[in-house]
Amino acid sequence: MATKIKRVILYIALILLAVICLLPFLLMIVNATRTGQEIVRSFTLIPGRALVNNWKTVFSYFNLFQGMLNSLIVAVPCTVFSAYFSALTAYGLHMYKFKGNKVITMCIVIFMMIPAQLSLLGFYDLVSMLGLTDSYLPLILPSIASAGTVFFLRQYCEVSVHPALVEAARIDGAGELHIFHRIILPLLAPGIATMSIGGFIGSWNNYLTPLVLLNTPSKFTLPVMIASLRASNDISTNQGAIYLAVAISVIPILIVFAFCSKYIISSISAGGVKE
Amino acid sequence: MASQNTAVSGKPVKTKKKDLNKTGYGYLFVAPFVIIFIIFCIYPVVRTLYLSFTDYPGYGNPIFNGIDNYIRVINDKFFWRDLWNTIKIWGVNIIVQLGLAFLLTIVFSDIKYKIRGLSIFRALFYLPNLIAATSVAFLFQTLLDWKYGTVNQLLGTSINWLGDVNVTPYVVSIIGAWMWFGNSFIMLMAGVQGISKEYYEAAAIDGAGRWKVFTKITLPLLKPILLYVSITSFIGGLQLFDVPFLMCGGTNGNPSGTTQTMVMYLYRFGFENNQVGYAAAIAYTIFIMILIVSIIQLKVLGSSNDGTPKKKRGGRK
Amino acid sequence: MKGKNTMRKLLAAVLAGTMIFSMAACGDTGEAPAADDGGDAAAESSTDDAQVSGKADASQKLVIWTMAADMQQFADKYVESHPDVAIEVVVTAPADYPTKVQNALRSGAKDPDVVCAEPQSIQTFIEAGFFEDLNQEPYNAQQYAENFVDYVWAAGQDSEGNQRCISYQITPSAIFYRRDIAEDVYGTSDPEVIGEKFATYDSILTTGQEMKEKGYRIFASTGELGFFAGNEPWIVDGTLNLSQSRMDQMNTAIELYTQDLTCYVDTWSTTWYQAMNGPIPLVGDEVDMWDQEAVDAAAAAAEGETEVFAFGLPSWGVLTLRDNAPDNSGKWGVCQGPTYTFSGGTFLGINPNSEDKDLAWDFITFCTTNEETLDWWIETSEGDVVSWIPSIEKHRDDENEYYGGQKLYELFLGLAEHIDYSNVTPMDTECNDLWNAAIGSIQRGEMTQEEAISNFYDQIESTYPDITVNRE
Repeated sequence: MATKIKRVILYIALILLAVICLLPFLLMIVNATRTGQEIVRSFTLIPGRALVNNWKTVFSYFNLFQGMLNSLIVAVPCTVFSAYFSALTAYGLHMYKFKGNKVITMCIVIFMMIPAQLSLLGFYDLVSMLGLTDSYLPLILPSIASAGTVFFLRQYCEVSVHPALVEAARIDGAGELHIFHRIILPLLAPGIATMSIGGFIGSWNNYLTPLVLLNTPSKFTLPVMIASLRASNDISTNQGAIYLAVAISVIPILIVFAFCSKYIISSISAGGVKE
Repeated sequence: MASQNTAVSGKPVKTKKKDLNKTGYGYLFVAPFVIIFIIFCIYPVVRTLYLSFTDYPGYGNPIFNGIDNYIRVINDKFFWRDLWNTIKIWGVNIIVQLGLAFLLTIVFSDIKYKIRGLSIFRALFYLPNLIAATSVAFLFQTLLDWKYGTVNQLLGTSINWLGDVNVTPYVVSIIGAWMWFGNSFIMLMAGVQGISKEYYEAAAIDGAGRWKVFTKITLPLLKPILLYVSITSFIGGLQLFDVPFLMCGGTNGNPSGTTQTMVMYLYRFGFENNQVGYAAAIAYTIFIMILIVSIIQLKVLGSSNDGTPKKKRGGRK
Repeated sequence: MKGKNTMRKLLAAVLAGTMIFSMAACGDTGEAPAADDGGDAAAESSTDDAQVSGKADASQKLVIWTMAADMQQFADKYVESHPDVAIEVVVTAPADYPTKVQNALRSGAKDPDVVCAEPQSIQTFIEAGFFEDLNQEPYNAQQYAENFVDYVWAAGQDSEGNQRCISYQITPSAIFYRRDIAEDVYGTSDPEVIGEKFATYDSILTTGQEMKEKGYRIFASTGELGFFAGNEPWIVDGTLNLSQSRMDQMNTAIELYTQDLTCYVDTWSTTWYQAMNGPIPLVGDEVDMWDQEAVDAAAAAAEGETEVFAFGLPSWGVLTLRDNAPDNSGKWGVCQGPTYTFSGGTFLGINPNSEDKDLAWDFITFCTTNEETLDWWIETSEGDVVSWIPSIEKHRDDENEYYGGQKLYELFLGLAEHIDYSNVTPMDTECNDLWNAAIGSIQRGEMTQEEAISNFYDQIESTYPDITVNRE
């Protein structure tokens, strides 16, 4: 009996915590439908009628769907490149014991410890030297060298790639690249998928680098757009519009999460255990 | 989740591979990575190192000035204030975050209560972590407005959440904890699920109490993960930037600079004040601090490995 | 089994991605251009930018970078008479703007052709070599010197007196007040009389108290006092200069705050804008922890809402109020503040790396010296104050309906004649930020005035090691 009561209490506490996690999102969605004046005056969970107006205010300043598209233009290639090249590199490091193999592996480990801000200043200098400012290339290309993903997948290779398998394929006359594409990639797929989803979200939410690199507003990615909303007077006068803008930016991530939450969670779990 | 249970940390089987003259492919396979890595990772870091020894306003030619910038960092009391700010914000954050994650882990791993819905709760708790920091900052800035925000309306209080030196740094901490406790919980939970049931069964046979099971079995076995979580979080914490930057008046770190973190200080010089050389020196000072912590991390984790059965920590993909 | 599961998950991810894509596509064609200001028919179809004026296939293209949206209207106007030119206007948030420009131009970018700058960035931009010398051939800008308001002309020069950039507007600071509230409290709304109420910092405090007795608030925030503090430079000969007017600003801001005479909002915050257009909730009685009397007084008033009497803003505030306070049209008046200062203003210069400098110069003269353009701008902006003296003279007697028929050009020209440009230094933004932060710390009771000022000195020293700080 006591156990039962305690269980009920525990459930209530857990649900309360879940509500705390959800409430800001709920408030955000409700407030997105109310006018600035209403929001200032009182608090409610009943939606208002200002959605259309808020929508017009937000989109007269920025086309958030453009921002969403821009974020996708950056995040999708980033994810794909990172997945493919990391797998390629990890397999290369795992399978072939060439000279310099160890040095590369060590560099990867050290660079995982280096804070992003350390390279930001030099990175900007480099990008402007190459004349690549205000372009998506410097946001996308570095994903080819995702140290963390390579490290993770290299560990993964040790478990799931058996040399015998590769030998067998070689005896059958398959080329090395063919082996990688046909045999290794599918083998690594679960590992790649977990890293990719984390990578996608990270790239989607990335703020500092695009803030510094992108100049043309129409090229802004979603986070930069949201952050620069405060520059607009029309929007500052209407909290409802701010809420709406944030809501719009959050929804795609929620959709992705709804579909792939299991992968995301297993990727984090793996991150915790890998060390 | 843990359907395959192969050991990751087990050494790969050392087969004497016949060298079919294939090592050339190794270079081919890692070439794209190495090229991009050198251009976009190594070059900027080295370039920043060079700039940290110069007087460079961001235009014209950098003028070499030796270790002047580093001497300035060491004597800059606001840099040290910001280090303290950063550690304070991180400290409260990690206590709340790990404390909560721990409680949840205990609740969900308790054999007696058999709490259901782990995957749903886990997803819900993780939700705040998905949202871009810009959105989080905007959301809370509006919700926490002193006179006109929803939170004060809801609680019937008049707390100046974002303008009180005794409140605002902890608001930033709590928001951080809110964003990250789900993440820590998932990691800890994964660790617990990796602990063999046999330990618990044996403990049950011995008639060990819940507290004893926790302190004698769960905690020691979770130690590596716990350390990993807290130390990676420390590295992330030292780089704290976007939430306070967006929520507390840009690089000012309102109120009274109490939320100005080290990276915000760096940003102030590098991107707002045309003192790029000095900013680079700040960046390297932060890096050195992180490096020291990382070395400690490796030492501590390395030594703790002895007492931990390797099998328990591997294998979950 | 596991493989199958994986595929399903991936498929779901792809589906989600497609959904977002299609959403984005719909939004792009459907809702996007909703309220953009004007028909950029040619531009809408281009994916690159929605802010291009002129035809997409024009033979010449000009790129302008700015932090104020005004330039877009000038660009639209320009292409009307120059059909072979297309202009791309890139507007960036003021906070990010200097960073953007410096990062782009230090790499020798050919874009933008025309660079806009605010006064406090001009010297940095010149030092970095971002502005072409406009006194040389073929520009010969000095020929126009006579016709510009002095301070604006001087602001655009480098240390050797060469013209580097030119502004089309003047921006003296003034007090914008509600005539209806003035009538209620003082029985008059005459700018001369109300100007007296704001003539000194002491009189501002008195006015604040008189407003509060009638249930109004003099200002929404105390930050606007900063617009009047710049009549002495922050840095003189490499030494920090903490002038009397800065101290006045600090003392008055603290008094206004502790005596509960404002609404405790931040300048430029959402609520601050809302206070222009109508009543805002009177903040709770428990608010003022320093003054029990103020608490009682507020409780006695028992009004749920209050209205704000005045806003301190530069002359472009004319447009800010018009845009944000449609319900109070005709109710505003403008008068002189406690000092002669200015703030902001858009200056136009030419990127030395530009490949089309002649076109850039033509555009700049079109915006700054062409009387036809300036007439149009005065009419379109309904109150922006231009810097070309012949045009101001011409419109001296124009009455602005939004401001109860007041002759604003006459007023602002009078104010601008007293402004001394040499008060501006490149360190102003930083110094002002730190100074305002010091004021905030005192207002909230975190530091005594002495501590806050000492901390301010420390911060200046650590930010600018080359500047001497003489502590009293």
